[in-house]
Formats: sequence, C-alpha cells, structure tokens
Amino acid sequence: MAILEVKDLKKTFGKNPVIKGLNFSMAEGEILGILGPNGAGKTTTLQMLLGILTPTSGTINVFDKDISTHKSDILEHMNFSSTYTDLPWRITVAENLIWTSWLYNIPDRKQRLKKIKTIFRLDKIWSQSFGSLSAGQRTRVNLARSMVNFPKILLLDEPTASLDPEVAAYMREFFSDQRTKFNTSIILTSHNMAEVEELCDRVLILKEGSIIGNDTPSNLAKKIEFSHLRLRVTKNATELDKLISLRKLESSIDDHNYTITIKEKLLPLILYEITKKNINYSEISIDKPKLEDYFLKIAKGGSSEAP
Amino acid sequence: MKLHRIWGLTLRYLYLFKHSLDRLSDAFFWPTVDIVLWGMTSSFFAKNLEGGGNTLILGLLGGIILWIFPWRSQYEIAVNLLEDLWNRNLVNIFASPVKFGEWVTTLLLLGVGKALISFIYASFLIYFLYSANILSVGLVLVPWAVLLIMFGWVFGLLVAGIIMRYGTKIQTLAWTSIYIVAPFAAIYYPVSSLPSWAQNIAHFVPASYVFEAMRAAVDGTPLPLANLLWPTFLCLVYFVIAIAMIYRSFNHILKRGLISVD
Repeated sequence: MAILEVKDLKKTFGKNPVIKGLNFSMAEGEILGILGPNGAGKTTTLQMLLGILTPTSGTINVFDKDISTHKSDILEHMNFSSTYTDLPWRITVAENLIWTSWLYNIPDRKQRLKKIKTIFRLDKIWSQSFGSLSAGQRTRVNLARSMVNFPKILLLDEPTASLDPEVAAYMREFFSDQRTKFNTSIILTSHNMAEVEELCDRVLILKEGSIIGNDTPSNLAKKIEFSHLRLRVTKNATELDKLISLRKLESSIDDHNYTITIKEKLLPLILYEITKKNINYSEISIDKPKLEDYFLKIAKGGSSEAP
Repeated sequence: MKLHRIWGLTLRYLYLFKHSLDRLSDAFFWPTVDIVLWGMTSSFFAKNLEGGGNTLILGLLGGIILWIFPWRSQYEIAVNLLEDLWNRNLVNIFASPVKFGEWVTTLLLLGVGKALISFIYASFLIYFLYSANILSVGLVLVPWAVLLIMFGWVFGLLVAGIIMRYGTKIQTLAWTSIYIVAPFAAIYYPVSSLPSWAQNIAHFVPASYVFEAMRAAVDGTPLPLANLLWPTFLCLVYFVIAIAMIYRSFNHILKRGLISVD
C-alpha cells in the first residue's frame, strides 16, 4: 500500500521549470533512493515533500492526506535530516533535542531522549554547544533530531556525508533496522552509490526535473552493458594489444596492468582468446556494472533505457 | 493551536537567551544606560526648576521605561527571526508540525515576557536611583502597557515580514525600524511641541496617546481612559494589517522555498 503518492508534481521558478511533472509512490517500509546530478531537482522535490516549498502544480498525498491541507498532521509522523539545515549553534545538544522534541506529540519524552542519546552515541557531546561540534558530530545530532518522533517516513538528504566510515556504517545499519523493526519508510538522497545500493529497495533517477529511471539498484546497473576486465599481464602482452586492436576494445594500460571495457556477452569469448593466444597473467578481476556506472552515464548525458 | 509546540518554540528562544551575553545585555544593559543618562540629565535640569522638578524626572524616566514595551516586543519578534535565519533553523521549525500561527504566537508572547522583565528591572532601577515610582500612576499602567506592546508587535511583525522576504541583508531594520516612529510617539515631549505636520502624523501613532496620558498622570491631571479608544482601534487595525503582511511574506517565501531564505 502506498504511504506516499506524488502526482504530476511541477515546480517552476520564474520561467525556469525545475520539476517537470513527477509521478511516483512509496510503499510502507520501503527505502527509496533519489539520485541525480547536481541541479536535477532532488532537494527541490524533498522540500515539496516536507511542505516547505509550494509546488506550482500537482499533488502530494501522505498517509492518504493532501500535504497542502493537512501539513501539520502529516509532519507529526514525518521527519528529515539535511545538509541544508543546522540547529541553533549557541545552545547545547541536549537543549536542541529537548526543544525539537516538544514540537511533536511524544508521550514519553524523557525516555525517548534517553534512547536517542544512546542510539546516536551522544553521551560525550550531550552538554556541548552545537556550534562547537565537528561536522560529523553535527550530522549525528541532526540525524538524532530527525528520529525524536520515531517517524513513519524519514527523508534523509546526504545523511552520512560527513561521517567517518565506521559511524556511517553504523548509521546505515540503524536505518536499515528501523525499516525492519518498525516498517519505517525512508527517502534517501546520496552521492554515495554504494550506500544507495546497500540501503535502497528502489531508486528514482532524476535528470533536469524528470524521472528517467525508476527501478531496483541492480536492475538499473544492468542497463549498463559493459564490464571491466582487469589483468596483470606477465607474458605475451603484444598479443593482447593485437587482440584489443582487432576487437576495437576500449582499454587503458598502466605498467603491465590492463583495464579492458567489454560488453558482458563478449567476456567468455575474450577470455577464451586470451587463453588460446597464450597470454599469461598473474592477476585477474572482472568488475560487473554498478549503479555508479549507470549514474555516471546519466550524468554525462548518456541516454537511458529506463521506463 | 497546540500548547506543547508553542512551549517547544519558547524553550528554543529561552535557551538562546540563557547562552547569549548579547541578548542578556539587550534586556538589562541598554535600559540601565538610558536610565542613568536621562536620569542624571533630568536631575540636573530639575535642580534649576522651582517646583515640578520631580515631575520632570518622572516624566522623562516614565517615557524611557514605557518605551521599553514597544521596543522590546518589536525587537524580540525581529531578532528571534534573525536568529533562526543565522542558524539555518527556519526549516527545522516549519518542516515540523508547527503551524505558522503557533510560531507567530510564540514570538508575540516572548516579546511580552521580555518587555515585562526589562520593565520590572527598569522600574526598580529608577526607584533606587532617583526615588521615582512609575507604579504610582496606578492601574492605568495596564492598558498603557497593552497598547504599547501591541504597537511593538505591529512593528515587529512588519519588520519580520520584510526580513523574511528580502533576507538578512536588511537585518539592521530589526534594531532600528521602531525609532523611525519614535519622534512622533512623543516619548519625552508633548505632541503639541511638534510642528503641525508632525502632529498630524502623531495622531496616527497610538503610542503618542499613551505618553501624553502618562505625562498628564504624572502632572496629577489624569486623562479619561476613553482617550485610549482611538489608539486602541488604530492598534487593532495596524495589527490585522501586520499579521496579513507577515502571512503574505511567509507564503511568498514558501513559493521560493524556505531553504533559499538567508
């Protein structure tokens, strides 16, 4: 069942159409990624979903209610974390979480804050002013703030951008758990493709205000037909050069390390020819296409096979 | 309107007050400076007057401490908005269940609270420094305070609306705007001492009626309360206009996106 439904959403700034008719929905407990190059309209879309930007036309229904008329009721069960916002710098982490918690109807406020403090490892910075924290600590506090109401829908804009790898992995695990245990739906924008592949059930690819891809991360990656074959050649490198030239393959060479871009279906044939021509190698790896490859293709202006 | 949300917003501004030396100095330092400077000045002039010296002191100091009401209530609205813009916190507020009316109500109430704190402090100060007791005018202080606070709200809302629309590049309005009307409010002198064109403007400045009434009360010739009907009516009209304007500004920035406001 769709918990969020966006229909024909458009936004124009002056004469500049930024969002050109988005249609998508999100199911309860789904983690939906929104990807796109800079200026694609990701943040604009998130702003409209939060009711802090008025669409030019179209509708956003959350929990079967129109956000333009039921914003307060909807936001009681939604929250967000974004790199575009801060919390008041001069007041402490604890005070920031206390005042924001009062904006929601939380029955067990003290217990909730205690829990948030533990989950987000805030003990050591609890009494420090927000402004005195490092970028990573601020991100953690912002994420903690986004969980004060234990939202049913969570919008995360670059949630792990400034976190160290260990904390980022911990946060990913936490959000994944939230979905598993509480059926929380999450919308995620990130430039970390591995994170999107790990977390998201489905990804929307935005480009110039339109959805040009809407599928699972693995299906989107499959739209890229090329793999990378990496070899460390130890004998008969000239034979390999000839083979690359004959097959008109794209390649790069660094010392004896070859990276050859090959269509997936040609891989067995090329490997066969390498063996046949007695080309010896000490290392071999095949990189299958990833979401990042798809994203790069889109960002560079390549056409999309997406629906 | 939910009280817990208004309380949450109030906490946010009170925490800030607690941690900000500059905000504390706004509440106590400037009233002290004004009272000392004007109190000394009026005491000096009062010495050269035969009789009526105390009236002069109380008249001037009364003007200073009653001006706290519009000044503080205006200032709190505008500066608290600025604090949220400086801290990129406006999105946190409006991407929560908080309604616009709840936010405005919080700012209005904070203005009242801070004005009362500064007023009580200043009243004690003039009593201890100059033995002048503003409370001696009696209960009429209540309607005066209400009118002056409303007048401050009007300015605060108008300025906040303008800042929302045009951003912090015009933030100086938060500190200065109300002083545009100060000469016509006749804080320290009677309206009759203004040039006639300025008197015409003063008739549309509700605060001028309060300061006239204060001076009359200090002189021992209190004016009837009915004299405050017209300024009350004016205040209400201005207040409705100010609310409509800030609401319009808010809707305007929602079309641009709250993130874009800086």
